[in-house]
Amino acid sequence: MDQSFELLPEPFQINPSLPIYEQFAWAIQGRIVSGHIPPGSRLPSVRELAAGRGVNPTTAARTYQELERMGLIVTYRGQGTFVTRDAAVIGEARKEIMRKAIKEFKAAAGKLGLTAAQLLEFDKEDSHDG
Amino acid sequence: MTANHYSMEAAAGPAAVECRGLGLTRRKKSILQDISFDIPQGSLTGLLGPNGAGKSSLLRIIAGLAAPDTGSVRVFGQPAGIEQLGMLSLLPDRSNLPGWLSVREWLDFAAGIYPDWDPVKALEVQAELNVSVEPAISSLSRGEEARLQLLTCLSRTAPLIILDEPFTGVDLISRERIASAVVGELADGRRTFLIATHDIREMELLFDRLILIGKGTIRSIEDVDRLRRSGKSVESHYREVFA
Repeated sequence: MDQSFELLPEPFQINPSLPIYEQFAWAIQGRIVSGHIPPGSRLPSVRELAAGRGVNPTTAARTYQELERMGLIVTYRGQGTFVTRDAAVIGEARKEIMRKAIKEFKAAAGKLGLTAAQLLEFDKEDSHDG
Repeated sequence: MTANHYSMEAAAGPAAVECRGLGLTRRKKSILQDISFDIPQGSLTGLLGPNGAGKSSLLRIIAGLAAPDTGSVRVFGQPAGIEQLGMLSLLPDRSNLPGWLSVREWLDFAAGIYPDWDPVKALEVQAELNVSVEPAISSLSRGEEARLQLLTCLSRTAPLIILDEPFTGVDLISRERIASAVVGELADGRRTFLIATHDIREMELLFDRLILIGKGTIRSIEDVDRLRRSGKSVESHYREVFA
């Protein structure tokens, strides 16, 4: 296969205490919206993904089901699984990741008793000082 | 096109293994008590438990090599017994391949005794497990012999594979090759695996179901994804149950 990209970031540490297909789907979603996996790319088969990572094939299958549900990948029977070329779908997935990042950022600020804006303000001052 | 074409769900049909109320006593000692569970077709089920829990006895009963005192076992809907030997491929706990044969001679012999031997599959799995055919079996390392045994198991077309401690004394690289060969089999041909092991960390990403037994009784039956959705790993669940 002329695969010039890594499906998952390397190294990829699996957390065995959380659903693995969610971890895979989330990571691959990130790779697609950031362009590391370009639109139209052909993804490895379920079998290749499972054997390559030493996970149950059901985990690999669910990963792809999840990504297909989001519209990020499309399967053509007999040809394989491909990343969508639909920029709007990829844009929507990017927004979802951004929302999650913001949420985590706000939570981190909250732990310090700050607002997100205060944390950003600090960063501005800090980089001026540095 | 539906989302289900990735699905590894088993085709409809009887459970690969169905145990009901199994009990076994040997020399007045109770080995198994009231063991009941189902293993759906296409599953990779881990049979986990401490030494002496009764895992090997249970596997021998499922394989039809021993009879329980109470209860029943069905394999693909048929009562377990020697008539069902063709339906399953068992890798026993203790190895006993004939040391005086070369690997090639053994494989030729196995091809002759197993009616469901698939020579094409044998070559594929041999490459995947990196088994060389020249050496005498007596000269193999523990890991090499384990890989040869698994090769013997997987070269048959039997739909149920039972592995009893496939990793005992096996080096890391062999473990990875064995795990990867198992994944390949599972993804390709709707086979069902039942694997008894101590090596939870090696295998925990592979299992989709767990059966935990201790002192001859079922301690827990879990769907692994459900376990993870509640924030537990196979290992942490095992520790909880046997703490």
